[in-house]
Amino acid sequence: MPRNGKALRITLVVAAAALLGVVAVAAASAAGAKSSATTLTGAGSSLVAPAVSGVWGPAYSSAHGVNVNYSSIGSGKGIAAITARTVDFGASDAPLTQPQGAACNGCVQVPWALAGTGPVENIPGINGLQLKLTGAVLAKIYLGQITNWDDPAIKALNKGLNLPNKSITVVHRSDGSGDTYVFTDYLSKISKTWATKVGKATTVNWPTGIGGNGNAGVSAQVNSTPGSIGYVSTFYVVQNHLHMVRMLNRAGHYVYPSVKSIESAARALKKVPSKTAGISITDPPKTKKYANAWVMATFTYIIVPANSAKGADLRSFIDWALEPAQQQSIQRLIFAPLPKLVVNAAKQRVKQIQ
Amino acid sequence: MSTYDATGNATRRPFSGRRVRPGDLILQVVAGLAALGSVVLVGLIAYKVIEGSRLSLSTFGLSFLTTTTWDPVHNQFGAASLIFGTVVTSIGALILATPLALGVALFLTELAPSWIRGPVTALVETLAAVPSVVIGLWGIIVLGPVLRDDVMPKLHSGLGFIPIFGPSSTGATIFTAIVVLTIMILPIISSISRELFLGVPSELKEAALGLGTTRWEMVRGVIFPYARGGIAAAMILGLGRALGEAIAVAQVIGAFNGPIHANFFGPGNTLAAWIATEFSNAAGLELSSLFYCALILLVFSLLVNLLAQWIVRRVAKKQGLAQ
Amino acid sequence: MSAADFSALQRPNDRLRRRRVANRGMEILAWLAAAIAVGILGIVVWSVAKRGAAALNLGLITKSQVQFALPGAAEGGLANAFAGSLVVVGLATLIALPVGILVAIYVNEFAPPSIRSFVGLTLDVLNGIPAIVIGIFVFGLLVVGHGYSGYAGGFALAVLMLPLVARTSIEVLLLVPGSLREASLGLGVPRWRTTLGIVLPQAIGGIITGAVLAVARVAGETAPLLLTCAVGVSNNADFNPTHPLQTVPTAIFELSESALPADHARAWAAAFVLLMFILVTSLTARWLAERTRRKLRRAA
Repeated sequence: MPRNGKALRITLVVAAAALLGVVAVAAASAAGAKSSATTLTGAGSSLVAPAVSGVWGPAYSSAHGVNVNYSSIGSGKGIAAITARTVDFGASDAPLTQPQGAACNGCVQVPWALAGTGPVENIPGINGLQLKLTGAVLAKIYLGQITNWDDPAIKALNKGLNLPNKSITVVHRSDGSGDTYVFTDYLSKISKTWATKVGKATTVNWPTGIGGNGNAGVSAQVNSTPGSIGYVSTFYVVQNHLHMVRMLNRAGHYVYPSVKSIESAARALKKVPSKTAGISITDPPKTKKYANAWVMATFTYIIVPANSAKGADLRSFIDWALEPAQQQSIQRLIFAPLPKLVVNAAKQRVKQIQ
Repeated sequence: MSTYDATGNATRRPFSGRRVRPGDLILQVVAGLAALGSVVLVGLIAYKVIEGSRLSLSTFGLSFLTTTTWDPVHNQFGAASLIFGTVVTSIGALILATPLALGVALFLTELAPSWIRGPVTALVETLAAVPSVVIGLWGIIVLGPVLRDDVMPKLHSGLGFIPIFGPSSTGATIFTAIVVLTIMILPIISSISRELFLGVPSELKEAALGLGTTRWEMVRGVIFPYARGGIAAAMILGLGRALGEAIAVAQVIGAFNGPIHANFFGPGNTLAAWIATEFSNAAGLELSSLFYCALILLVFSLLVNLLAQWIVRRVAKKQGLAQ
Repeated sequence: MSAADFSALQRPNDRLRRRRVANRGMEILAWLAAAIAVGILGIVVWSVAKRGAAALNLGLITKSQVQFALPGAAEGGLANAFAGSLVVVGLATLIALPVGILVAIYVNEFAPPSIRSFVGLTLDVLNGIPAIVIGIFVFGLLVVGHGYSGYAGGFALAVLMLPLVARTSIEVLLLVPGSLREASLGLGVPRWRTTLGIVLPQAIGGIITGAVLAVARVAGETAPLLLTCAVGVSNNADFNPTHPLQTVPTAIFELSESALPADHARAWAAAFVLLMFILVTSLTARWLAERTRRKLRRAA
C-alpha cells in the first residue's frame, strides 16, 4: 500500500542515518584506540588508582604491549569483583579477611605499593598543615563526641589558631574502602571505644557524618562543606588542593603524609607475616627512629587468582611493578618505594601465581 | 470449510475439522510464548529478590524493619533508617509537588491564554524527559550550594524551633533530596491532571458558570470532584516514582545510614540509594540484607502500583456509568 | 430607597466580593505555580545548556576517558561512554522490540479477554518495578558467575523497555480498523499472514513511535547499568558486549561525584548531549505518532 510506505521509508532513512553516525564514531574512535592486544582488567582501590591508571598502565602498555584497564571503584568492590572473577585482578588497601580469603578461593595477595591516608579539613580561616590533632581527639570527632571546632580539646592542641565556632561535619566513605580500613585500623589502635563500638573494616557503622563515594566523593564533600573534616589518600590531597591535618605520632611529633614520612613508617615492619595475611603499619612505635613516621601509612595489595588463564601475564605485570624503577616512577604521586623486605616477600608470593 | 459466519466475521469452532494452518499456529505459539515470558519475568524477578534475601530474612526476620544499625563489622543489619528516609523523601516530595502540579494543570486548562499553553506544556514535558542522573548532577552542583548557603540557614534561623528545620552545614541533605524528587515527579502529576481536567465535560463546567459561580468555585465544585480519582491515581504514580528513585537521591542525600533523626537539613538515605551505592561491594549477610531492602522496596512499589490501578479502574467504571 | 433596602443589597455584595477575592487569589496561585514550575525547569535546562555547551567539543566523542589527568597530561574525552551507550541501548532495543510486538500481537489477536487483562496487568506491574530492583535481578541472573558485560546491561534495559513497547504496540494495534482484518480474512488470507502482512504494517509507525519513546526513556537510566555493566570498564571506546562497558549515564554519575571542575565540565557536556538526544528522539516519536494517527483515521 502506498500510504504506509512513506512513514516506513522515513523511519528507515532516519535509522540508516543513525547507523552511519554510529559507524563514523566507531571508525573515529577505533583510529584512536589501541590495537587488540592482551588486556588485563582490574578494579578496586582508589588509593592505588593514580599509580595504576596514571603511570603504570600506560608505561607497561608501551613497554610490553599489554593493555591494563583499571577501574577505581573502591577496595570493597575490588575484592568482590576478583572473588566473582569478573576482573583479572583486584586491588585493595585492606587485606582480605579470613572469610573473604576463603570466598576468594585460592587468591594470592601481593603488596605492590606503599602510600597513606590522611585527614583533611575545610575550616574557614584555617589553611593547610595548620590544624594539629591527636588520634584520641580524631576518634572523639568521628564518634560524634566532639561536635564543634572551638571545643576545648581541639583548642588545647592548637593554641594560637583562631578556631571558629562552627559545627564539625564529619565526612567518611560511603563505599567499601581501603582508606576506611586504614583509618579505622589506626583509630582502633588509639581508642578502645572505637575498637569495640565501631571496629575496623572497609565499611563500618559510622556513628555520625555524611558519606562520599570514593576518594573523589569525599574530596568533593570536604571541598564544598565549610567546617568539614574527612580522610583521603595522599594523591587526592594534592590533586584537589585539600588542607592536610597534622597528626601527633607516638614519637611525639606532629607529622603529615609525605613520601618521607610514609617511608619512615614502613621501616617499622620487621617481618612480613604469613603468606596471605596483610601488613599493618599504622600508629608506628615511639622510638626516636620513627620521629617522622606518618600514622596512617598503608601497603596496598593486588589480588589475583593463584590459577588463571592470564597467570603468566599477571605475574610479569606484578614483577614489573615491583622493580625499583617502577616504584620510583610513582613517587611524585606520593607513593613511597616498597622496603626491600616487602619486595622480597612479594616476589615469593608472586611465584605462587600460575 | 466455512470458518466465517453469515456476517463475514471470522470464527473459530472447536473440532470443526478445519485444517489448522501451520503459520497461524506458529504465530500464536510464538506470540503466546512472548506473553508468557513477560509473566514469567515478573515472577522470576520476585523469586530472585526473595531468594537473595532469604539469609537475611531468617537471621533478622521482622526486626530488620525496626533496627537502625547497619554494621558490617558486627554483622548486624537493619533498614529502619532507610525506610524512614524513603518514606520521608517520597511523601515530602509528594506534598511539595502536588499543589504545584495541580496549579500548573489548572493554569494550562483554565487560565492561560492559548499562545502560552503550547510552549508551557512542551516545557513541562521536557522536564519529564530529563534523566535522573542529570537532575542529580544539577542538584549537586547548582542546588546544593544554594540550599546550603542561603535557603537552609534562613529557614533554620526563622523556623528553627521546628525540629525538621535543624542546623545545616552541607548541601547534601534530606531536604535537597526532597526538592530533587519534587522536580522529578511534578511533570508526571501535572500531565495526568491536565489530561483529566481537559476531559471534564464542558457542559458541566458551563452549567456551573451559568449559575453564577466564580471560576475557582467551578474548579472546586465541578473539576476537582470529577477528576478526584484520577488525581489520586496521578499522585500515587508520582509517589511510586519517588520511592524507586535511586540515582538522583544517592547523589544529593549525603549517604548517612545511622540513627533516625528529625532534622531534614541533615543527611539521610533511602532504600534505593543505599542499594545502588553498597551493592557491588557487599557479600554474605550484608548482600542478603541488601536483597531484603530490595524486597521491601518491591513490596512498597507493588502496593503503590496496584493501588493506583485500582483507583483508575474504579474511576473509569464510575465515569462509564455516568456517561 | 429606604435604609433597609440598601443593607439588603449590601450583604450579598460582601459575599460576592469575598468570592471574587478568593477566585482572584486562586488564579494568582495557579499562575504562581506555573511560574515556579517553568522557572525550575528553565533553571535546570539552562544550567545544562550553558555549562554543557561551554564544555562541548569533538574531543568528547573521539578521545578516550582519562581517569587520572596528571598535571601536564592531556584531558580525556568520553569516547568509551558513547560507544558503550550505543551498544547497550542498541542491544536493549533488539531484544525488547520484537518481544514487545509479539506480546502485543498475542494480546490483540489471540488472547481471550481474561488473559488479555492479566497480561496487561503484568505489564503494568513490570513497569512499576524500580529500575534498581531490575538491576539486582539481572545481576543475580546474568552477572553472577559470568561477569559484568554489555549483554547484561542491554538485557536490564530491555526489561525496562518491554512494558513501554508492548503497551504502545497494543494501543496502536487496537487502532487498526477491524474491517481491514475482516476483509483480508474474508479473502481467504491466513490469520498469520493477515496479522504480519496487513495489520502490522498499518501500525508500524505507531509501534516505532513507542519504541523510540522507550529508547528515550532508557537512554538515561543509570541504576541498572551500575549493577550489571559498568564495573571494570575500559578507558578506550569498546564496542564488545561481552566486556563491561561504560555508558553515558554512568559516566555522568561518576564525574558528578568528583571534586575536580574539569570532571564537572565533562559531566555537563555529556548531560547536554544526552538531553539533546532524548529530546530529539521524543520529538521525532511524537511527530511520527501524529502522522500514524492521522493516517489511520483516514483509513478508517
